[in-house]
Parts: sequence; structure tokens; C-alpha cells
Amino acid sequence: MNGADVDARGLRCPEPVLRTRKRLAETPGAFTVLVDNPAARDNVRRFAQTSGCSVEVVERDGEFLVSITPGEGAGPVAAEKPCPASAGAACTPAVLLITSDELGTGSHELGATLIKSFLYACAQGDDVPGTVILMNGGVKLATENDETVEHLLALCERGCEVLACGTCLDYFGLADRLRAGRVSNMYEIQSKLVGAPRMLSL
Amino acid sequence: MGPGDLEQILQGLPYDDVPELLTSVRDGEDAGVYLLSERLAIVQTVDFFPPIVDDPATFGRIAAANALSDIYAMGGRPLTAMNLVAWPCGLDLGVLEEILRGGREKVREAGAVIVGGHSIEDDEIKYGMSVTGVVDPERMTAISGARPGDMLVLTKPLGTGILATALKAGLVGEADMNEAIDSMCALNGPAADALSRVGVSACTDVTGFGLVGHLYSMVRAGAVATDIWASEVPLFERTIDMAALGMVPELRFKESEGFGSVEVAAPRTDPLVVDTLFDPQTSGGLLAAVAPGDAEALIGELRAGPCPRAAVIGKITDGLEVRVRILDRRRD
Repeated sequence: MNGADVDARGLRCPEPVLRTRKRLAETPGAFTVLVDNPAARDNVRRFAQTSGCSVEVVERDGEFLVSITPGEGAGPVAAEKPCPASAGAACTPAVLLITSDELGTGSHELGATLIKSFLYACAQGDDVPGTVILMNGGVKLATENDETVEHLLALCERGCEVLACGTCLDYFGLADRLRAGRVSNMYEIQSKLVGAPRMLSL
Repeated sequence: MGPGDLEQILQGLPYDDVPELLTSVRDGEDAGVYLLSERLAIVQTVDFFPPIVDDPATFGRIAAANALSDIYAMGGRPLTAMNLVAWPCGLDLGVLEEILRGGREKVREAGAVIVGGHSIEDDEIKYGMSVTGVVDPERMTAISGARPGDMLVLTKPLGTGILATALKAGLVGEADMNEAIDSMCALNGPAADALSRVGVSACTDVTGFGLVGHLYSMVRAGAVATDIWASEVPLFERTIDMAALGMVPELRFKESEGFGSVEVAAPRTDPLVVDTLFDPQTSGGLLAAVAPGDAEALIGELRAGPCPRAAVIGKITDGLEVRVRILDRRRD
């Protein structure tokens, strides 16, 4: 059995799922994954179903050909449901990367005011970004600052996914104080940024 | 290997049945128990595996707690331990020192002492221990004594196999799985003390064959059967999220012969939860069958003390065809 789009034979979990995930993120349309053990077969199926795809498995000679057809709005899913509201409905595909709790340089005071009003404008505006990623000092916006937490929660409610870098939260000792969005990791953040059709950095 | 494969191999080998040997290799017992005198037997066990977390000292603690657990599962007290190390040539020995430090810490906490060890060169790091303890043969908690009507008590949540796979994939960080890491590092000694005060019919610990696999060994050894109530089984945070993303390790028991004696009768339970009942555990909790009148007080004591998430997860029955039945919820 050959000719599969993703040949994951000889690979142990979690590798077959990671390759499936990569393929789903990078190339639109249906595809097939070939695996050679039941654990990989079941995991590729679990992942694809969770990602909103339909899945069919054909077994031949101890190998499994998994056919995956992305459903409406399917994509690689995040580790958790991001926010109470269902994500993405009214959002643009833009990814907004915020790496500081101030906007711009020149004056700290002005920078803090500007980031507040920027997030407020985002939360109220017509075009809600699909994803906001908070890194470095940016994680403070989802923990310490009451006003920006409120704006981020408003963004969440409108379907925006707010991701805070776990390493950064740990660094600032804020790991247990995240109040908007959810903790993410470099793997997910990297894949969001690289896969983003439009990325804005603040 | 699954319990079925192991069984098949052991059947082909001569079995040394000496009167001093109080355990049967064929029962899937946690440790070997050998009678020295009327009131004293030695308990021996060994376990080692590749790293499942990144922090070396934490890995050392987990490997030691896991090896010591077999002694506790027999109702014994650990006395001595020997380190087992497989180490790749040229790898930083400072890392090994940290692993050994973590292991020693747990052995000391258990009141035992490291008396030596052995190392070999290998492509992949592996660490574990051989542990020797003692038990009063009258108070030994074998895997085989479960009686119909007994309640099943589990002292730690499930999910370490799934979370370790997600950690390997980079989908969770160690900070996201603190609960599971703390649990894997925790000795089963204090829980074993609580079980021994109450008195249990049978006991084992949940490790590589998952909850259902070890439960299968218990009911087969006792010639009984069991119901598991899926909704009552405690799971670590994030376990089901990660299972949904395809982070389930090989469920060895599901591929074994024993799986033929398992019936899943839980139509309202998420299939991912059912999968988690087969998840191989590292340094998992104790699984004990206790008289129904003792279960509630025991759970109270465990939860107030060493095992905040201990739970009654099912009961022993007298079925014969089906050894393990998985139900949605509690049915007394």
C-alpha cells in the first residue's frame, strides 16, 4: 500500500499525529495518512475528528490507510476551547502578536494608555482579529491590568482566541493569574504565526 | 508487552514452585514474596523506563516512586534499593547525577537506603530500581483475594500516559501537568498504610497495563469479576483534551488476549474516557478491593490525607464470562 499523502509508517506516537496536523494546517483539501500500528491509527482518527474532519480507515496487510476530509471550517484545533463563545464566527483571519504591555516607545505612560485604547478599539471594532498572541511583557495585559483584561475578555466573547505564552507567564510569576484567554506554548504559537494569512505585530 | 503476551511466554517456561514462594508469577503479582521465617518474608521488585519528563531530578523521583510502589502494593515495607541505569555514551553526567539525586530523595523518604546499582551503555536513557522489602506474611496484600461485593478503591487519578505523550509532542508543558507530576512523584506508602489499617481483600498498583488491565489481573487471580463506573474514575486535568488531540499512547491491554473478557456497556460515556481507563500509568495509584462497610471511612481518610482524589470506582461481582464490565455510572 503506497501513494499516501503522509507516510507515517515506522513512526511511534505522537509523531504520526504531528505530521497529520502539519499537513492539515498547510495544505487545503482531503488527504490520506498511512500508518502501521493500531495506536497511530486511533490517534490520527481522534485528532482528525476533533479537528472537524470526517475520517475513513481501510486496513490492508497490517497497515492502515486513513482518509481525512476536512469539514466546514476545519483546521488544526487548539488544545482547549479558547473562550465561552464559539471561535471564529465573526473574526478576520488576522493574528495579532503583542510583545509588551505598552504600545510603542517614547513614553511609558503614553504607551500604557495607547495599548489600552488599542485593545478597546479592537474589542469594539467591526473586524475582530481571529487570534491575539501575548508574549514577553504582553502577558501582563491578560493578568495584572484590570482594564486590558476586560477588553481581552470582550474580544474572547466575540470569538477571538487569546493565547498567552506559558514560558512568559512563568517568567513573570503570573502562571496562576491568567484571567483572559488560555495558556499556550511555543509549538502552537509558532504554528499560528507561521500559518497566519495576516500577522500584525505590536 | 501486554499481559497476554507475557502469559504466553511464561506458560512455555518451567515454573519453580517452591514452598517458600508465596506469590505466583502467573497471577501477575506486583512483586515476588519469599518466606524467610514464620513471621517474615522478603518482597522483591524491579522496574525501569526511559524519561517521561524533561527535568532529570523529577524523572528520578518518579522512577523511584514507581519502583517502590510494588512493595507497597504487597503491603510491604521497603528496606533497600539498587539503581539501574542505561546511559548513552558522551551524555552529560551532570544530568545522571540529578536523576540519581531525585531517586535517592524518594528512597530516603520511604525510609529505605540505596545499597548499590548497575549501569550499562545504551542509545536511550533508562533509569529505575530494584527494591527489596519485608512483609509479615499474615498481613500481605495479594492480588488474588477480591470477593464479590467488595468495593474498588483507586488512590490516584488516571492520565499520566496521555499527558506524557502530549508533553513529548509539545502540546503541554510541565507547568500544565503539575497535578500529574506531583502525583507520579508521590509515594504510595501513606496510602498503603491507610489500606492496611482498614484491611483489604486484594491490592495491586496501576502501571503499564492501565486500570482495566490491572483490574483484569486482579479479578482473574481471584476468580471473580468486576464493574467499573466510568463517571466515578478520577482523571488528571487536561487528559481528555489531549486524548482528543490524538495523544493516547499504545494501549497495550487492548491489544492483548485479556481484552476479550472486557465488555464496554457505557453508551453515555465519552469514548475518550473509556480509552483513558486503558491508559498505561507511570507511578499510578493503588487499586484495592475492600469490604463494602469499610469503603466510605477509608475514602474519607485517604482524601483528608495522602490522596485528595481517591475514589470508589466500582465493585467486585461474581460474573464468569465477562471479567471486567465498564458501566456509565455507579450501580450498587
